[in-house]
This record gives sequence, C-alpha cells and structure tokens, in this order.
Amino acid sequence: MDQTRRDLLEAGWTVGGGLLIAAAGWTSFVALKPLASAGGGGVLPLLEPDAYPEGSATFVRQGRLFITRTGGELHAISQKCPHLGCAVPFCESSGQFECPCHGSVFNAAGEWISGPSPRGMDRHPLQVTDGRLLVNTAVLEEGAPLGSRKFDGRARGPRCTTEPAD
Amino acid sequence: MPATETDRPPVPRRGLMARLRGSTLYRSVVRTPGSDSPSGRALHAFGNVFLHIYPVRIPRGLLRFRSTWRLGFISSVLFALLFITGLYLMFFYTPAVSMAYGDMQQLRAQVGFGQLIRNVHRWGAHLMVLAVVLHLVRVFVHGGYKAPRQFNWVIGVGLLVVTLAYSFTGYLLPWDQLAYWAVTVGSGLVKYAPGVGNVLRDFLLGGETIGQAALLRFYVIHVAVLTVAFALLMAVHLWRIRKDGLVVGDTGVAHDVTARVDDRIALPAAEQADGVARLDDSRRVLGVVHVDEVPGRSRDPDDEVFSWPALIIRHQVIALAVCALVLALGIAFEAPLRDIANPNLTPEPSKAPWYFVGLQELLAHFDPLVAGVLAPGALVAALVALPYVDRNPSRRPADRKVALVLFWAVFLGLVVLTIIGAFFRGPGWAFVLPWEHLYFEP
Repeated sequence: MDQTRRDLLEAGWTVGGGLLIAAAGWTSFVALKPLASAGGGGVLPLLEPDAYPEGSATFVRQGRLFITRTGGELHAISQKCPHLGCAVPFCESSGQFECPCHGSVFNAAGEWISGPSPRGMDRHPLQVTDGRLLVNTAVLEEGAPLGSRKFDGRARGPRCTTEPAD
Repeated sequence: MPATETDRPPVPRRGLMARLRGSTLYRSVVRTPGSDSPSGRALHAFGNVFLHIYPVRIPRGLLRFRSTWRLGFISSVLFALLFITGLYLMFFYTPAVSMAYGDMQQLRAQVGFGQLIRNVHRWGAHLMVLAVVLHLVRVFVHGGYKAPRQFNWVIGVGLLVVTLAYSFTGYLLPWDQLAYWAVTVGSGLVKYAPGVGNVLRDFLLGGETIGQAALLRFYVIHVAVLTVAFALLMAVHLWRIRKDGLVVGDTGVAHDVTARVDDRIALPAAEQADGVARLDDSRRVLGVVHVDEVPGRSRDPDDEVFSWPALIIRHQVIALAVCALVLALGIAFEAPLRDIANPNLTPEPSKAPWYFVGLQELLAHFDPLVAGVLAPGALVAALVALPYVDRNPSRRPADRKVALVLFWAVFLGLVVLTIIGAFFRGPGWAFVLPWEHLYFEP
C-alpha cells in the first residue's frame, strides 16, 4: 500500500489534534470537578433513644434527616427523595412519608410503598454511645429495594396529599 | 416606490440635512448613502456592516409573511432583547446564595424599571422557547431540512438545545422556591443517565446538593458559555441560510446542491484538456459554484427584489411588534418570585418550567431512566438524524405522508403531556381539574 509523506503527516495531525482535544477536555473536567467533601457531614449527637417514642418522626434540621421509631427500631432517614431529590415531609395523620413532587409514599421506616421512587428512602447509620444517640451524616446507605418491606405499609389515617391518579 | 431600472442622476437637495449629508464627516461614516436607484439600494445593503447580513437581492416570494412566518427572525429579535435586558440585570445581581434573593427584591423595590426589565426578560425567554420550537415545526412542514440544508437543520437543533439550556440555567438564578425545586427535579434526572449519571450531575452542580457552587456554575453557563455557543451557532446558521439559497418556502423537489458542486469540481473542461487540474487556484474555485444554480433562488431577475427596503422594512416592523408584545406582557404580568429557597421544604406541587413539564408528566408514568434520559435523548437524536434518514427529496406534503404523520404524532403527544402536566396536576402530582384549582406558575 502506498503511503505518501502527506498521508503520514495528515494522520499525525489527526491523532495529535485528537489527543490535544482529549487532554483539554480531561484537564477542564478535573479543574472544574466539585471540591471534595462539600457538605460531607459528620457525627451528629442527638437525644437519648427513649426520647423518640413509637410512631413518632422527629426532624433533625442540621442533618436534614428524620429519626423515626417503628416496630421498636430506630431509623435515621434522609429527607431527600431517592427519585429526584425533593424534600419529603412526614405526614402525621397517615404516619407515612409522602413526597410532594411525584407522589412517592414511604412508611415510617422509609420503606417504599408506592410511587415512582426507585427504592426506599436513604438512611444514615445510628449508634448509641454513653446513653446518647449518634447519627453519622457522612455515611449515606441506599434505601431498601422495592418490595423488600419489613414493616407495615398501611396508613394510620388519612393522607396529607391526595391519592395519585395512577 | 416604483423601481426604475436605470440609475438616475442624484437630485440636488437643499437644507440643513442635505448639507450634513454632504459633509466630509458624514460621508466618512456613511460611505454609501442610499438612493432610490437600483445600485443605491444594493449599496445600502451591501455597504453597511449590519445590513450586510442580508443579500442584496432576494426572491420576491420571500416577502410573503407565510413563506417563513418570520419565526427565525422573531427568535433572533427575542435573543437580542434578552441579551440587552440580561446585561442590565447583571448590574444588579450577585450569584451568591446569601445575596441572590435579596438582589431580586431590591430589583423590585429600588432599582429604576428593575421589575419591568426582569418581567421582560422572563416573558421574552418564554416566548423565545416558543418561537424556536415553532420555527422548527415550520421548517419541518416546509421540508426545509432536505438537501442541501441537512447540516443547517442540525445547527438549528443545536440552537434549540442551547435555548432550552438558557432557560433552565436562568431559572435557578432568582434563588426562590420555584427556582430551587424546579432545578432540583431537573438536575435529579441527570443522575439516571447510565454509568455517568452521578458524576455528570455532581459536575453540573459542583457538589451533591444545589448550593453556592451550583448557583455560580449556572450563572457562568447562563451568561457566558451559552452566549458564546449561541453566537457561534447563530453565525453558522445565518451564513448557511444564504449559502444554501435562502428560504425554500415552496413545496417543490429538493435539489442536492452538494452533488452539483462535486460534479463541477470534477468537470472543468478547460483544465482537463491540458491534463492539469488547477482547482487549487483559489480564483478558479470561486467559479465552481454559479449563483444561478443555487436552488430556491429565482433565475428570473424580474422575480427578485432588493432587500433594502422591501425585506428590511418588513423585518423592522416585526421587530417593533415583538418588542411591543413583550413589553405589554411585562407591564401586564409580574414575573413570579416566591419565598427564598428552602432546601427543607418542597412546595406543593413542584413543577418544572412549562417546556419541561411534559417530561415531568412522563416521569409519573415511566422509570426515570426512560422518561428523563432515554426519551428526551432519543428525541434530540431523532431530530439530528432526521435529514439523513429522510432521503425523500420531495417537499410536497402529498409525498411525505409518513414523515408528516410521525412528526405531528410526536409533537401533539408532547403538547398533550405538557398541557396535562401544566394544568391538570396538583400536590403529589395528583390529577386535578384546572377550573377547580390551577397549580401553574410560568
């Protein structure tokens, strides 16, 4: 196969130019990457475990999370909906989390009941040290997959949002 | 003004204006003063940097309003309006979480015409999305994407994407509840892109949540990145419109001008006779394309008119009408400003801007990967691929039944989804009747 000097140069320019563009792209990406651990969180001290009675949901503003107790177990549930990130409020009358954006519903343990969310609500690990409850907001555990519900999914009263159409 | 086809000697004028126009200073600025003669009209368009964007002569058919509905021109008028009002707003806006909302209130309360300018910017932006979409529909229906205009259609799709990106990034800047949650939902979609979703979303927001980094990024993208992109695409778009023989507007059969150029490059008989192709001689390459072979351009000089004044006056009238409409909207309707953004409280319901609300409606029925990533991705990909897939050269509606039916089906589907999402959805995305309670804020 004939290859002229011009072909070689052309190939060289193409490869070189391609590499240059790739390098520029990669450099820009690294330069503009989000700063590490922006709002990463840490260990947040809470009250003693008995301060959170069965069926209650207490909002912890600093951690943007809820502490709930259901079936005797304590849960630290991130307020952010796993679907698209809306802040999910706790509905006192139904005893469930009801997302205002697309109508996903979760029980007090953050497990998925209905709606478009791809999983249950994400959670933070809890531990008890010296009689006080500690929540680690730096660690976020993915919510339970759909259909793996351990706790009751029934509402204890009327919903705060109207029932979704579908 | 009846056109006389011969150059008349200039009629001597008297008075102050005439003396001014005769002065050396005036003549050094306006080098080609218009006259009613054909050459005067040609020079007026040709010798002015701003009018130079127009060809000197255009096919008469282009003067008909319905040849283009002037939608591309209206889009560019709106862009100019948004550029000017945006510059004004930049003097009063700080892209900082602690300042942005306060700046909005200050704009409303203290800055002269501040609220009006903001209203004009907001309604102008909505109208521009509408105008760009309608322009796309018009070009499709007229078959304007067919050869040789395939690539200009792709550029146009790029301009549509940039317009939507403009709207979306601008939406966050007031830093109110409307802004914060619409962008939360919108950027939440990005994370469903397979593989790269989370990285891409964090890159766009500068972190995991919408905060200071996100506001600054959106601001820089809105005022600088997109403006450069828009200007470049616009320049290519307009340049190609002229190179491809202006507008079609008819429903004839598309000519493939690219094929003709190739033929001629292979052809020049004189050069081939002596066995030497001199096409690298730039003066000869200029001769390769004859103006009269560009399709859409009338070969009959009697069927052409001068851009100045025929087309340019029409454009000026339309530009004035667009400005008047946006100003009227700005006076009549306030741009919404809700409470300051609160990451702990999602308002009910949280809706995306109207042009994305159809997507949000789709989200209520499908997996986010399908509704939020694959569906819009496929739509843009289909638009880009359209002129290369649809090889049917005819622009007559009767010959394009499949393309037209498909197009209208998708378009009407989007319109229906948007109407349902905008007017028939309430808290928790539950179905509501708009005449009972309207949950919609533009």
